[in-house]
Amino acid sequence: MSIVLLIAVPLFFAFLGIILKKAAPYFLLLVSFFNVLALGFISQGAIVIGGYSSFYGIQLVLNSYSLIGLYVVNTLFFVIVAINCFKHKKLSPILLISLAGLNGLLLTNDLFNLFVFMEIAGISAYLITTTTKDPKSTFNYLVLGTIGSSFYLLGLIILYAMFGVLNIRILGNIIEGVVTNKAAVALPFLFIFIGLGVETKLLPFNSWVKGILGKSNALTGPLVGAVYASAFAFVFGNLLRYLFVFSESLLLIVSILLVATILIGEAMAYASTKVREILLFSSIAQAGVAVLVFALGYYTWGTILIALNGFSKLILYLVVNIAVDQVKSDELSALKGLFVNNKLIGAGFSVATLSILGLPIFAGFIVKMNILVAMANTPKFFFVGVILLASLIEGIYFIKLLINFWFEQDQAPRVKYSYVVIYVTLVIALLITVFGVYLEPLNSIHSTLNLVKGVVMHG
Amino acid sequence: MLLYASVLLIVIGLYGLLTNRNVIKIILSLNVLEIGLNIFIITVGFLDLEEAIAPIITLQQRASVIVVDPLPQALVLTAIVIGVGTTAIGLSLAKKMYDKYHTFNLDEMGEE
Amino acid sequence: MASLELLLIFTLISGVIAYLVGKVHPKTGSILTIIVSGIVFASLAYFGLNEQLLTKVSYLPYISFIQTPLAIFFGVLVSFVFFMVSFFNPYFIDKYTYKAVYSLLYLLSLAGIIGIFFTDNFMTLFFFFELVVWSSLFLIPLGRDEEVSVWYFGFSVFGSFALLSAILLMQSVTGTFDITTGLQAVSGFNRLSVFILLLIAAFAKLGAFPLHYWLPKVLTDSPDPVTSIFSGGLEKLGAFIAVLGLVKLVPTGFFIDVMDMYLTHYILAILGSLTIIGGTVMAIRQDDAKKLLAYSSMSNGGYIIVALSLGSSAGISGGLYHIIAHAIASTAAFLAIGAVARQTNTTKMSELGGMLHKMPITYMVYLIAIISMAGIPPMGGFISKWLIFQGVINKGLILVAAATFFGSIGSFLYVFRPLAALFLGQELPQFKETIKEAPIVMLIPMVILSLLNIVTGVYPTNILAYINTLLVDLNIVQLDITRWTIVGTNGTLNPALIAVMFALGVFIAFIIFISLKKSRKVELMDTYTAANFIYTEELLHYSVDFYAPIERLYEPYIHFMKKFYQALANKVREVGALVKYYIFTSKPEVATFFIMLVIAILLWGDLV
Repeated sequence: MSIVLLIAVPLFFAFLGIILKKAAPYFLLLVSFFNVLALGFISQGAIVIGGYSSFYGIQLVLNSYSLIGLYVVNTLFFVIVAINCFKHKKLSPILLISLAGLNGLLLTNDLFNLFVFMEIAGISAYLITTTTKDPKSTFNYLVLGTIGSSFYLLGLIILYAMFGVLNIRILGNIIEGVVTNKAAVALPFLFIFIGLGVETKLLPFNSWVKGILGKSNALTGPLVGAVYASAFAFVFGNLLRYLFVFSESLLLIVSILLVATILIGEAMAYASTKVREILLFSSIAQAGVAVLVFALGYYTWGTILIALNGFSKLILYLVVNIAVDQVKSDELSALKGLFVNNKLIGAGFSVATLSILGLPIFAGFIVKMNILVAMANTPKFFFVGVILLASLIEGIYFIKLLINFWFEQDQAPRVKYSYVVIYVTLVIALLITVFGVYLEPLNSIHSTLNLVKGVVMHG
Repeated sequence: MLLYASVLLIVIGLYGLLTNRNVIKIILSLNVLEIGLNIFIITVGFLDLEEAIAPIITLQQRASVIVVDPLPQALVLTAIVIGVGTTAIGLSLAKKMYDKYHTFNLDEMGEE
Repeated sequence: MASLELLLIFTLISGVIAYLVGKVHPKTGSILTIIVSGIVFASLAYFGLNEQLLTKVSYLPYISFIQTPLAIFFGVLVSFVFFMVSFFNPYFIDKYTYKAVYSLLYLLSLAGIIGIFFTDNFMTLFFFFELVVWSSLFLIPLGRDEEVSVWYFGFSVFGSFALLSAILLMQSVTGTFDITTGLQAVSGFNRLSVFILLLIAAFAKLGAFPLHYWLPKVLTDSPDPVTSIFSGGLEKLGAFIAVLGLVKLVPTGFFIDVMDMYLTHYILAILGSLTIIGGTVMAIRQDDAKKLLAYSSMSNGGYIIVALSLGSSAGISGGLYHIIAHAIASTAAFLAIGAVARQTNTTKMSELGGMLHKMPITYMVYLIAIISMAGIPPMGGFISKWLIFQGVINKGLILVAAATFFGSIGSFLYVFRPLAALFLGQELPQFKETIKEAPIVMLIPMVILSLLNIVTGVYPTNILAYINTLLVDLNIVQLDITRWTIVGTNGTLNPALIAVMFALGVFIAFIIFISLKKSRKVELMDTYTAANFIYTEELLHYSVDFYAPIERLYEPYIHFMKKFYQALANKVREVGALVKYYIFTSKPEVATFFIMLVIAILLWGDLV
């Protein structure tokens, strides 16, 4: 089966869904399920659209790295769609387009094509976020997203002008081999960094996040907070791995931005009293950690970190947003005692949280320790300190959140979760626990990823 | 020359984004920025090749004819389409905002 | 079970079983905790003390065990505390919101303890360390106040992260996580860093100044059995880490010839002294009996720090002995208070009185425990304090000695207040009819602990002999002991003789008591003052504001650490709120500005 189908099938059904409006939600459900299934049968490798040589044509690459990304994004997408598709019937074609865009983002090996998919995913995200009935936030998101992608475009055009090629891996090799003064390519890389930084929610380009995730509903919260976040983190990781060359001053700027993102993100989450805001600011910090891990060159554990965070955050956003939709308030005090009547959901939520905090017997611990050990051996103790400090603050507010959700003297809010949500939460929580104790799967993923060599030149 | 014009347009666009709080004007600034960017893309194809002709394949291929790089022109078409798409969504959002707040000014919508 | 691995797996699985059983019938689930912790303690004690534990690992990946005297020392002690406390679980389980989870977390913590003490690998140690942190974390909010657990988590994780940093530092030097290799291989500045980081971890766990803030809160507001677990068991993790850092790690830093001591160790001794003083003065002013004991726990942690930082045989054996003595005494004291709290639902001294008449055994348990805690013969606390005094005086540390003496005398001031207020005095009318002695199952651990308090005070030879083998393992000169005496530099201690003298004294007092005329019992309000009869009995309660004049001396200064931590939390919050306010607006210009700014900074650096 060709990897193009992952993009083409959702697109085809999206347009079919515009014609056959009644059938659109079913298309959505079937296609997103098909995509998850298809991943099992797809063969790895690279293809070039239109039969050009990979130097000119648009190349799509599927290796173990992008396969993990695809699995994460498609699975999460399917779960979210399965929970939400009949609540937002009108959005079905748009959701399909966003699925195509996200898959394209992960597969493409062409800088300009990446821009196109960024915009496809972006535009569908703008439209999806209109469901929160807050046009001002969506507008802010749109403007910032457009500015970001404009900078990204500017950066890639400058690179094209300098080297005459858009294929990410080839370009990366050329830059690695040819450029002696790395400062010469610092500017385009900074533009690209900014462009992706807007989408991955890095400080200080991320003011759209508060409006979008701070007012999210059960669809937009998990979708933007878990799916889009993981997809863009994967893309960022991809570029950092195959393309980016850091000059000294660029590395300094990037490090400062990332450290600021991590620490201030945690501080902002700590300062928040609204549950959705706590989640969104903490995901800013986590995005910072993921990008930092990639920027420092620990690709494999970075990949696993993003995948794991994607699943954990799905639970967090899902549980919180459903509760907020029913309680009509996202103040922590209003949601106090949320789990008193929903113990299963609470158990899953707690497992996801503890895993994000990197506490043992959960998968997060393994990933975090491996990253920290790798950092300490490089040695980059400064970043170890930053991550530990961030984890400390993160731990404090997440534990506060958990304790507040579990314990309540007066009356606990009555929130009903559908069986699908409970089932999904428990399955993910179980997997997180199993992967945290039984290390073989994570280690084998790690070694497979290590085997992926950077170059897939001729598909 | 064209290069400088494009950079100037980009800067004007950014200036507009920095100083305006009117939704329509922000969208316009965004458009100016995009136009500047598009012109910049075009110029990349022709730097130092002032006598080059359009990259159209004709029956008589002559080695002496210099064609400009066709790729940026293809890219710019895509970029323009995407720009139109975002502008359209932006304008529809502007209408929604006007319906909700009866103003185009972000300041008057209040911060919550 | 002689195999540590099987023991660990057994504990984990029975944790899950206890949870499942507890879902159906909470009480049965909590009874399982007694059985399991009993088996764990029995196996560790029997096989451990005979050095027959099997360290072979065949099922668990990445985990390896080693059997050292230090591990056995701590493992037996802490599992003993878990075992003793578990007798209380069935009687408290009804008060918890999540009954089945309690049993699970209790056993999970116990499993973590086994892992921490017996592993030879730092990463495994950290794994179990964090496991204990979060599993004990969720035990706390089952009690009175939920917010406390957040403070506990903050300090604990700060400590664990310091430990982790030390581990990573050692690993980056040696390339292995092996504990012994790691501690031996670091040198120079790295060794100093490892030392400081390990001690931060130890201080955070032990609740020593300046990382003590969580301890009194947690010990006060946890459920009563959990308090005992913390005070007798989990706090000792800090002591374990302190032994690693202070004794096993080769000392480093500036050596002061005059004092025959490293500067780093001296600073620690001073911090330990501050912990002693702080704990003591704070304990003096508490009205809540649990809180009072909590502060006393803190000050005892200070003794452990002081003792271990001395580095001499008297000091270290005193410290290790104090770990035992304090674990036994404080567990007993907290259990006694817990027993009272279960019957009366309060631990405030001003609301209690005369419990002696209804709960005589609990009273005796508490009496013995506090005698030990105050370091009065013939209890275990006396032996350890005597050794610590010996060690401190030998080193000629005047300031530290003053602090340790102050702590001892201060503890006379405070430990007798709960005794007088809770147990002695007249019976309050509201408790007259309803209160009974604690159930027999609860009395079992309390009596055992009391007997141990006495045994450790009368006949310390066996334990000291074991500590001597431990000292060999730690490369320290052994303590000079004979069957009945301990030889110090300034004299020889004969605990049994002292005990006999005491017994004689008590006997004579008893003779006098029965031979004299019986005193008349009066009712609580059978008195008058200023020509008025008294109707509100609390006003007469002499434990209220008992030390008010002393308290007034230091009242204004006691909150400075609290203020510091709250200010720290506020600062973080302020930074967050500030950035949130300036960046997270709905206006696109802000992000545009920052993008321009970042580009400008790059251009400044690269192109100009």
